[in-house]
Amino acid sequence: MTRVRVIGCGNLDAGDDAAGLVAVGEARAALEAIPGVEVVEAAMPLAVVHLLEGVDGAVVVDAVRAPRGGRAPGALVRAEAGPGGLPAALRSSLSSHGLGIVEAVGLAAALGETPRVVFLGIEAAEVTAGRGLSPAVQAAIPVLAGQIVAEAKALAGTVGS
Amino acid sequence: MTHRTVEVPVIARVEGEGALHLKVRDEDIQDLRLEIYEPPRFFEAFLVGRHFSEVPDIVPRICGICPVAYQMSAIYGLERLFGVEVPAGTHELRRLLYCGEWIESHVLHVFLLAAPDFLGLHDAIELAKTQPDLVKTALGIKRIGNDLMEVIGGREIHPVSPRVGGFSKAPRKRDLEPFLPRLEWALAQMPGIADLVATLPKPELPRPAEMVALVHPDEYAINEGDLASTSGRKFTAASFEEVSREVHVEHSNALHSVMIDTETPYFVGPLARVNLNARRLTPVARECAERSGLHVPESDPFFSMAARVAEVALAIEESIRLISDYVPPEPPMAEVEPRAGRATWVTEAPRGILYHRYDVEEDGTIHAAKLVPPTAQNLRHMEEDLRTFIPGVLDRSDEELTRLCEMVVRNYDPCISCATHFLRLDIERT
Repeated sequence: MTRVRVIGCGNLDAGDDAAGLVAVGEARAALEAIPGVEVVEAAMPLAVVHLLEGVDGAVVVDAVRAPRGGRAPGALVRAEAGPGGLPAALRSSLSSHGLGIVEAVGLAAALGETPRVVFLGIEAAEVTAGRGLSPAVQAAIPVLAGQIVAEAKALAGTVGS
Repeated sequence: MTHRTVEVPVIARVEGEGALHLKVRDEDIQDLRLEIYEPPRFFEAFLVGRHFSEVPDIVPRICGICPVAYQMSAIYGLERLFGVEVPAGTHELRRLLYCGEWIESHVLHVFLLAAPDFLGLHDAIELAKTQPDLVKTALGIKRIGNDLMEVIGGREIHPVSPRVGGFSKAPRKRDLEPFLPRLEWALAQMPGIADLVATLPKPELPRPAEMVALVHPDEYAINEGDLASTSGRKFTAASFEEVSREVHVEHSNALHSVMIDTETPYFVGPLARVNLNARRLTPVARECAERSGLHVPESDPFFSMAARVAEVALAIEESIRLISDYVPPEPPMAEVEPRAGRATWVTEAPRGILYHRYDVEEDGTIHAAKLVPPTAQNLRHMEEDLRTFIPGVLDRSDEELTRLCEMVVRNYDPCISCATHFLRLDIERT
């Protein structure tokens, strides 16, 4: 039975917006070896509202962009959702589809349906359609993938016990 | 000269990057430019040299929220060119898939993007705090759309089963039947939702508009039909580029669509569809339109929300009918032999007509592609709305003016799918 869901978000055709999907893809084999962990790829952050249902914990991975270049490309960000959802400072999480991760987790929290949510973000350099990952983001993917696995393991080991 | 720049942090809700530049002097609009759409030029180039069979996998990547629309305009156009006879039941299954997309997209827009504006709330989270039951209902209905797309299209980021020739795999009847009680539940919610829409405080923007939509003699047109406008035009997808053209706009990357003969903009989307297809509305959809105060002809874009609610009802009613009558296409896919020529098609994406054209070589290779999405077609019309609307509200604060401008733009549910991030509103008052 699924207890922890790992959710990669983003757009594979928009440069660094693919980072969350790529990192989750890279971690997939290791994740699927952890009992009770399910891996899901979501194009639209709002799908996260539904994906938070029925699990005890979730790791959500997406590209982010700090206002006015406040973080270096490839920098990793970790946040845990509290009762009000994720920190509002992460509102700049990339979303080409209307509602970002912060809004999605915030919605779930407002409706009182949030499991433990760990958000892992990676700072995007560019999100131009048709481009691949930027070198800085590409270089950070293995680290992020490792972090995803570690978070999933920690959640699977702690939640419900 | 005073010059103020106002950043709008909630603009993530207009789906992507863009900006509204507004320059006002002595109550006159000196300059107004809306840059909110990046047309899918990358994908047009990306499609060149590809085999036709790859197109249904490439085009849905253009938009995470309307992948089915992109697939359907492409698939129908290519099948027409190749003379493919699809297996019985294919059109019905495609319509059902498209209904799923309409439900998902419209519910997202009505409740999570537009309703907070109309209620003067900051965002959907605030709406969830004040009206949790309403938001739960909305998410429940939206999820039916998601799940329909997943069951028919495959559980991937984008639907993978639609093919030129049919479906790679068609769902069994028993895969679809569990949707019936959920759809009946959703349908029962719709009249109450229409009543709620009727009570929302709504700005007014009465203005003449030429609206364009697909029309079909037997059904509310989605995948098949000819084009018609409220000014009496009638044309087909094959002549689309003889009727409408995209013009480059100075100081901008944007392309604006205008009618070639009159050089005037036009308006596509749910309100256009309801106006041109009012007689094809299904019973609950018709009831919803009436209860929300939408009576055709109506060209005030602020009635777009009511039109979306009516169309959600329609998509639910159609889904119930299509699932009840469903017979899986057997085999799910027809043989396809490519031939050289030009494929053109128009379908009704959630945001309005989506035109595709492919020039195909004898072996099925794509030689050229042109994609004209609904947001691109509406852009000039949005600007004109803003020009009409803003003089009446210039006495408002920058903050209030921003909110009202956002509402005007959001009537069109603009989508810049392949781009991202912040829209800035720059207001320069002198």
